Amino acid sequence: MAATTDASSTPVALTPVSVRGRRRRRRRAWGTVGHRALVVLLLVYLLAPFLWMLLYSVYPSSALQRTTPDLDPAGLTGASYGRLLSDGSFLRPMANSAIVGIATTVVCMVLGSACAYAIARFRFRGRQALLLGMLTVQAIPVIVLAVPLFILLRAFGLYDDLLGLVVTYTAFTLPLVVWMLVGFFEEVPPSLERAARIDGCSRLQILLRIAVPLAAPGMAATAILAFINSWSDFFLAKVLTSTAATTLPVKTAAFQGLFAMDYTSAATAGVITAIPVLVLALVAQKWIIHGLVEGAVKG
Amino acid sequence: MAEIQLVDVQKRYAGRRAGAPAVQDLSYTIGDGEFVSLLGPSGCGKSTTLNMIAGLEDVTGGEILIDGARVDDLEPDKRDLAFVFQDYALYPHMSVHDNIAFGLRMRKVPKAETERRVLDAARRLDIAHVLGDKPRALSGGQRQRVALARAIARRPAVFLFDEPLSNLDALLRDQTRSELKLLHAELGATSVYVTHDQEEAMTLSDRIVVMSRGHLEQYGTPYEIYHRPATEFVASFVGKPRMNLLPAGLVAGSRYRVAGSSFHVDLPGHTAPDVRLGLRLDECSVTAAGDGEVHGTVKVIEPLGNVSDVTIDLGTALFTVRTPGFSTLPVGGAVRIDTRAATLHVFDPSTGARLGG
Repeated sequence: MAATTDASSTPVALTPVSVRGRRRRRRRAWGTVGHRALVVLLLVYLLAPFLWMLLYSVYPSSALQRTTPDLDPAGLTGASYGRLLSDGSFLRPMANSAIVGIATTVVCMVLGSACAYAIARFRFRGRQALLLGMLTVQAIPVIVLAVPLFILLRAFGLYDDLLGLVVTYTAFTLPLVVWMLVGFFEEVPPSLERAARIDGCSRLQILLRIAVPLAAPGMAATAILAFINSWSDFFLAKVLTSTAATTLPVKTAAFQGLFAMDYTSAATAGVITAIPVLVLALVAQKWIIHGLVEGAVKG
Repeated sequence: MAEIQLVDVQKRYAGRRAGAPAVQDLSYTIGDGEFVSLLGPSGCGKSTTLNMIAGLEDVTGGEILIDGARVDDLEPDKRDLAFVFQDYALYPHMSVHDNIAFGLRMRKVPKAETERRVLDAARRLDIAHVLGDKPRALSGGQRQRVALARAIARRPAVFLFDEPLSNLDALLRDQTRSELKLLHAELGATSVYVTHDQEEAMTLSDRIVVMSRGHLEQYGTPYEIYHRPATEFVASFVGKPRMNLLPAGLVAGSRYRVAGSSFHVDLPGHTAPDVRLGLRLDECSVTAAGDGEVHGTVKVIEPLGNVSDVTIDLGTALFTVRTPGFSTLPVGGAVRIDTRAATLHVFDPSTGARLGG
């Protein structure tokens, strides 16, 4: 008799719980679906222009400029890449961009880390004002400075010269680099530097052997940002160069003629311009996440 | 081997922190091979003093000499000393081995010698098996050992310790403390040790420097510090639980009475009208008053197992006596305090200086 009671009461007691559990699980599942859908939507929004550009670079524009674009894989072609990458008038701006980007980054990192380390470690009068001033410089629209810069560079004989671009980009990027690096250097525990002083390091050795390795992830991220800043600049390069020192973005824009537009070449140049940036961003991701400083002090 | 001399050392911060000097008029000599603790509450200037000896902070007055040679203008690495930091300060991007070897490499010690010293230090501190690991993979105790090994491998004339045990848990702290003492006995190098823990200072030190608010309060052996505190501050800071310190006034002859109570003591040779009277709790005893003289009433009894702390209300002040075992005195009962076995510490109420013998 007792067994029957048990058998009949047990399911009654269990059902509401399991139903509630199932409902909760279903609600959570819907939440996940909604979340994923939003992410996909955002990705499409962000990536669609890039994908469209990619398509234009590998399909003849005639195949795409229809009501229903012809995406037949048989029509795929890398011809435009081959054409651009063997064209001297395209390779030259590409090399220019690379030289200017790398030179700007190196100069910014060398000057920036020394400057940022000093600001992060020494207390001196005007320290806050200096930092604030650097941020203020960033707020000035580039267009305001374009004409004076043009006049200045021409006066110094640096118009249409790679050095002129490096100097200009460094001036615009350095404050940002310093600002970012100050934050990274401030996170290096001061006791490590005091230990290094006891161990016999000079200030410069402390910077190079202790602070830089510890701030390396942040420095890598900063360097990449500095590179992207100059690599992808169009406006200043347009104003300050004409032919010899012209850069990739300026060249890319030049495919847009007055009456006709070479979509395929423009898209191909766009993809080529974007690739280094994408690669750097992917590399940086690994670096930035790598938390080196943890475990330095008590934990 | 080294003798450290401080002569009128002063530290005054410029700018926003300006004001009273952080450290002033410090003059004492730390003998060759001695283990000396700088003891005091936080903010008393003990770490500043240590940093000045190390060369991590500038001296703004006076001078510091090591073995008779002035060092206060030398860079830290030219002073032949090693520093053990409170937070260990291990280089996180280097392996344990490289952490220990770094100072030797910077000093251009030959490679074979560096290896030998790293291994020797690691063996002494039982960390040879983690030499290849990064500091982040180690426990707190192991990190502390690496920090010690780094100091030992350098074979400096002076070891400086800045509260090296305060980040360890209680059990590990006691163990490491004993090991530090053994290590000092083995190495025999002059050591300066900053701590706010009087127990650490008492157990480790040959001599103790007690500091408060940037001043030297007393420099002496643990025995002197405990049994003959030079100032009221030392008396109240050293010894656990804290010494009874009460205001007392001269009533007749050499008899002093705690103001507003019937508790009195005889202080032969003292004539000051007002004094501060210091009595260690474990040197006094307490008995039920019975028919005799009453000093106060029992307010609270705190049994600790082997002893009990009996707090007595004298009327205007509280007085604590440590009695053996569990006290059987009733709370609220009238009691008498017996101070015949106690050392009487007498201090000037205005300057805090010790009076008489």
